[in-house]
Amino acid sequence: MSVEEEMKEIVAQIVHVDKSVLTREGSLRKDIKADSLDIVQAMVAVEDKFDIEIPDEEAQKFQNFGDFVDYVERRVAEKEKV
Amino acid sequence: MPLKGKLTLVTGSGRGIGRAIALKLASQGSDIIVNFFRRREAAEKTAKDIVALGVKAEVIRANVGDPAKLDEMFDTIATKFGHLDILINNAASGVGRSVLDVDIKAWDWTMNINARAFLLCAQRAAKLMEGRGGKMVSITSLGSSFVLPSYAVVGISKAALEALTRYLAIELAPEGICVNAVAASAVETEALKFYIREGLMKDIRQATPAGRMVIPEDVANVVAFLCSEEAFMIRGQTVVVDGGTSVAPFITAEKEERR
Ligand SMILES: NC(=O)c1ccc[n+]([C@@H]2O[C@H](COP(=O)([O-])OP(=O)(O)OC[C@H]3O[C@@H](n4cnc5c(N)ncnc54)[C@H](OP(=O)(O)O)[C@@H]3O)[C@@H](O)[C@H]2O)c1
Repeated sequence: MSVEEEMKEIVAQIVHVDKSVLTREGSLRKDIKADSLDIVQAMVAVEDKFDIEIPDEEAQKFQNFGDFVDYVERRVAEKEKV
Repeated sequence: MPLKGKLTLVTGSGRGIGRAIALKLASQGSDIIVNFFRRREAAEKTAKDIVALGVKAEVIRANVGDPAKLDEMFDTIATKFGHLDILINNAASGVGRSVLDVDIKAWDWTMNINARAFLLCAQRAAKLMEGRGGKMVSITSLGSSFVLPSYAVVGISKAALEALTRYLAIELAPEGICVNAVAASAVETEALKFYIREGLMKDIRQATPAGRMVIPEDVANVVAFLCSEEAFMIRGQTVVVDGGTSVAPFITAEKEERR
């Protein structure tokens, strides 16, 4: 499964939505109506899954789910390099 | 330097009250372990400011609500230092909701970070204090005893924390470990801005008998006292730092009316 697919599964389970509503362009807060607790829990679950750290300072820059995916993909690739 | 050579862990000390406590204890000579959850930059900055005070600082990331992460943090402390002198249980999180809107997720999240974390931290810390004694101080709020707007689950978690403080204080008394808590009223921090509007901040300022709002340093000063040998006979107490607000509800109301 791709990083994006795995992230969709994790987020869908936490926010209680169907995977199909998660698009790269959609905002978790505005479009999926995730509250701040959902978002922190999703971040933490993704961090644990891929064994990476997503500092709040970075997470605050995400405009939509796609930005979140891109960031995680980048960190996973960096990790595989070392 | 009353705390020279001591080692202190302050949970959630990258910013806010935890940061002020970390800096205060560092200024008294203690080395500090700065714990954080989401804001690494803030934690690194606090660590830098601690080092500038002439003591050592170590940054450890751990979600205190996750027992596995908490264990990893204490494993690191045990391996690296082998002991701990002071535990400050400061990290807290919560969901601002009324009681009827609190769901299981919000309850578990808040209780785990605010109350269960202290249980687990204290259990591990007590082992690291064996044979040397120590201090444990938790940060709580007036919401444990009074009803504050949208504060239900946090207030409940703080009540649990204060009860835990009493039980631990007695169990750990023979080990020379002093356990207490500091309860603050509204403190001017980022967290507070999340809960209340600026207008209300102004009202709180005006309604506080001491004439201003509590600031993080006010809390840090009392924590430092509870960590000193002068406080040796204080056990299981929750010391209130609120500028007099909680003992003068009618005076506060009268002041409001006169405005
Ligand atoms: N502000 C007030 O009006 C007030 C009044 C009475 C009592 N208090 C109490 O004082 C303490 C500090 O509050 P504050 O106002 O300084 O809060 P704050 O500014 O929101 O800071 C909270 C701190 O806790 C950390 N934290 C949150 N969840 C965590 C977790 N799961 N694991 C580890 N660390 C975590 C945060 O880390 P990151 O920086 O990494 O996010 C941050 O350092 C809390 O116990 C609070 O209940 C506050």
